[in-house]
Amino acid sequence: MYKYRAQLTKGDEIRYISHLDYAGVMERAIRRAKLPAAYTEGFNPHLKMSFASPLSLGVTSDAEYMDFELTKPLCQPEIFDKLSAALPPGIRLIKLKPVKEPKPCEGKKHKALMAEVEQGIYEVVAPLTGDWDEAVKAVAAYNAASEVNYHRVTPKKTRDIEVKQYMLEPVKIGMSGDWVKLTMNISITQTGSIKPVEILELLHNEYGLPVALGRALINRSKLMGQGKDLIDLV
Amino acid sequence: MIKLEPEILQAVEKPARYTGHELNAVHKDWDEVDCHFALAMADTYEVGMSNLGLKILYEVLNNRQDTACERVYAPWTDMEAIMRERSIPLFSLESFTEIKKFDFLGFTLQYEMIYSNILNMLDLAGIPIWTKDRSDVDPFIVGGGPTVYNTEPIADFFDFFILGEGEEVISEVAKTFVKWKREGKPGGRKGFLKEVAKLEGIYVPSFYNVKYNEKGYFSSIEPKEPEARAKIYKRVIKDLDSVHFVEKPVMPYIGIVHDRIMLELFRGCTRGCRFCQAGTSYRPIRERSREYLRELARKLVDSSGYNEMSLTSLSSADYSCLGELVDDLFADFEGEKVSFSLPSLRIDSFSIDLAHKMQQVRKSGLTFAPEAGTQRLRDVINKGVTEENLMTAVEAAFKQGWKQVKLYFMMGLPTETDEDIVGIARLAEKVARKYKEVKGKWGVTVTISVSCFVPKPHTPFQWFGQLPKDEFERRQRLLKDSITERAVKFHYHDARVSVLEGAISRGDRRISQVIYQAWKDGAKFDGWTDLFKEDVWHEAFRKCGIDMKEYSERTRDFDEPLPWEHTTPGVSKDFLKREWNKAVAEQLTEDCRRGKCSGCGVCPSLKVDIVDWKRKEGEVKANV
Ligand code: SF4
Repeated sequence: MYKYRAQLTKGDEIRYISHLDYAGVMERAIRRAKLPAAYTEGFNPHLKMSFASPLSLGVTSDAEYMDFELTKPLCQPEIFDKLSAALPPGIRLIKLKPVKEPKPCEGKKHKALMAEVEQGIYEVVAPLTGDWDEAVKAVAAYNAASEVNYHRVTPKKTRDIEVKQYMLEPVKIGMSGDWVKLTMNISITQTGSIKPVEILELLHNEYGLPVALGRALINRSKLMGQGKDLIDLV
Repeated sequence: MIKLEPEILQAVEKPARYTGHELNAVHKDWDEVDCHFALAMADTYEVGMSNLGLKILYEVLNNRQDTACERVYAPWTDMEAIMRERSIPLFSLESFTEIKKFDFLGFTLQYEMIYSNILNMLDLAGIPIWTKDRSDVDPFIVGGGPTVYNTEPIADFFDFFILGEGEEVISEVAKTFVKWKREGKPGGRKGFLKEVAKLEGIYVPSFYNVKYNEKGYFSSIEPKEPEARAKIYKRVIKDLDSVHFVEKPVMPYIGIVHDRIMLELFRGCTRGCRFCQAGTSYRPIRERSREYLRELARKLVDSSGYNEMSLTSLSSADYSCLGELVDDLFADFEGEKVSFSLPSLRIDSFSIDLAHKMQQVRKSGLTFAPEAGTQRLRDVINKGVTEENLMTAVEAAFKQGWKQVKLYFMMGLPTETDEDIVGIARLAEKVARKYKEVKGKWGVTVTISVSCFVPKPHTPFQWFGQLPKDEFERRQRLLKDSITERAVKFHYHDARVSVLEGAISRGDRRISQVIYQAWKDGAKFDGWTDLFKEDVWHEAFRKCGIDMKEYSERTRDFDEPLPWEHTTPGVSKDFLKREWNKAVAEQLTEDCRRGKCSGCGVCPSLKVDIVDWKRKEGEVKANV
């Protein structure tokens, strides 16, 4: 088997499709691309593919990662062009690399893509509804706090999450037109993380960040492991 | 252009229903084309996107240089509430243009229970509900599809209807429109309707006078414009290889109801089941050629990336070259991991063998439709299936490893007695015991799904009075109590919905008032059990002074004029009467596909012939 890693986007057009639907869309794209894809065994064969960290509904991304396998080694440009041509609106292929499996003597195999993820960088934009100074103050106060709790409610359970443990850097604030732009560098661990939308909610509800929450847009710009982009780990 | 804020899309269930941008969707420059056609289904995105007819027409219209065709479906109740609150009009999924700006809004009429949704969509679009209230700024509202053989209950909401198969006529409509527009729209709205009424298969309801007799029954419908025909026959495609079929389906980003390729093998079914409206309305049998189907299958797999293909038709196992076609497809897609399926099976071992071949390992359930529980009643409905056929078929299936069988039945058929109801339970139990006999142990599930019979226009049972709701429910209880075997599971339809469907499907123009009233009072998504509001409908009938049972339960006289006879699929009243008489005499009628012509009238009146690749030439000729 020949394994490849692709860095893909999730654009504005498909912002509102789920992680599972995104996987289905990619599966069909690989089939349309007529690549010699490898399938799982069994009654209901599926393409051998795996994804990095799932994205929340409504979030776009420049850093979606997918590993997939082919039964024949094709050259990178051929795969890149065929797959690119088969992608639907809203998905672009940015980079593609073969995953070099280390020889058995060289030690352990690559970790699963999902397990390599340690860090995500997000940009959040939202219309400013109050004073710029107020906004800067709100972010500064949040950054200064030593402990912040988020009350997460899901259909299954409710719990409090300490947020600051996941903040790898202070939230940065900038301006573009009438929109506030926040950059969040978040740690993603095997046991948990915090979503950018949750941080935004805290900033708005607890720290008085004057933005129109309902119009906020979030984009994942990077997904990293060991301080590098996932595409550079292979 | 309509733009939905993130907070709206974050707030609704399945937001991708409203965001478009799918692969293979066609985007044209609005100002570059003369004709803007919105194709609609008054149901959810997932249901609408699964409709084969819409997929075909979408491509046919978009293949025209002068036309842009876009899609629109009914927003779910959560989205509707937001749209109403924020005054967001209904919009299309390609250019996000207000629906009101289109030249045409065409609805596919799949079943009666979406009529309230049609009104709701018109209202959301800001288009007057009643035809008479529309002006030159409004789109023409067009209807087509299965329920078009009695459009009277919705006649006052539509500008015109297209009867029958749409591939050719929809293009003629667009062409007529473009010509009329380029000529400066002579005669205004009515001027166009006069032009379009000249096309075969087009029914413009406002061009007719309807009369009722002293008893209050429908008595006549007569043209009042010279362009209007006294009788409108459906359109039929003589050679299915000659018309466009779907080649590049719009690919949804989210799961839809039929999330696979649909390859249509043929149209029509002449097995002659007497309850079946599809059986009379899609006649005669016309098959696509094996070569063309192969070509289409390849194009569809390549353009969609789907790995599942359903070989669809009214009774797919009847396709004359099915065995060969399946072999071809297996060979063509070897190594591509494409799986094939048949939506319905004939009750015989050929079908079982084929299904076995198609589902190599995965044995999901098998579905059969004996329709009635006793041989006597099966003869009444002309379901040419015996208990022995069924037993042979399930025996073969159990031997091949199937463990789940679903059996479809109907309740409330003409001449039905309690014995026939109990017969359903007995038959299902025999099937379950057959499993034990074959396998030497239990372990089978036999699910019986029983619907409430709704008599439909242009069928031999069109005169028959439907059972009252209470009687349906009594028979459902009787059946439930008659099942003694644990392996048999029982599902039944909601009789409240079936009797309403019964009233509407044989309704006349006065029913539009009831539909309007029910919609005003909150009826929508009536086909969704949890949203169906029985009280609202009963109240609507009462408010309009119309007795629902007059429509559902009254047995009509043979010589009584019926409100749907002027819009016809071509089967003659004589044939239908003959079939009714044979039904009560428990006599069978042969399938004309290979057997002799039963003189239904379709072939001579529409100048069309059976296309069956294995029928011996010259053996059958329609009785002219
Ligand atoms: S006219 Fe005869 S051959 Fe044609 S569909 Fe009717 S019964 Fe069959």
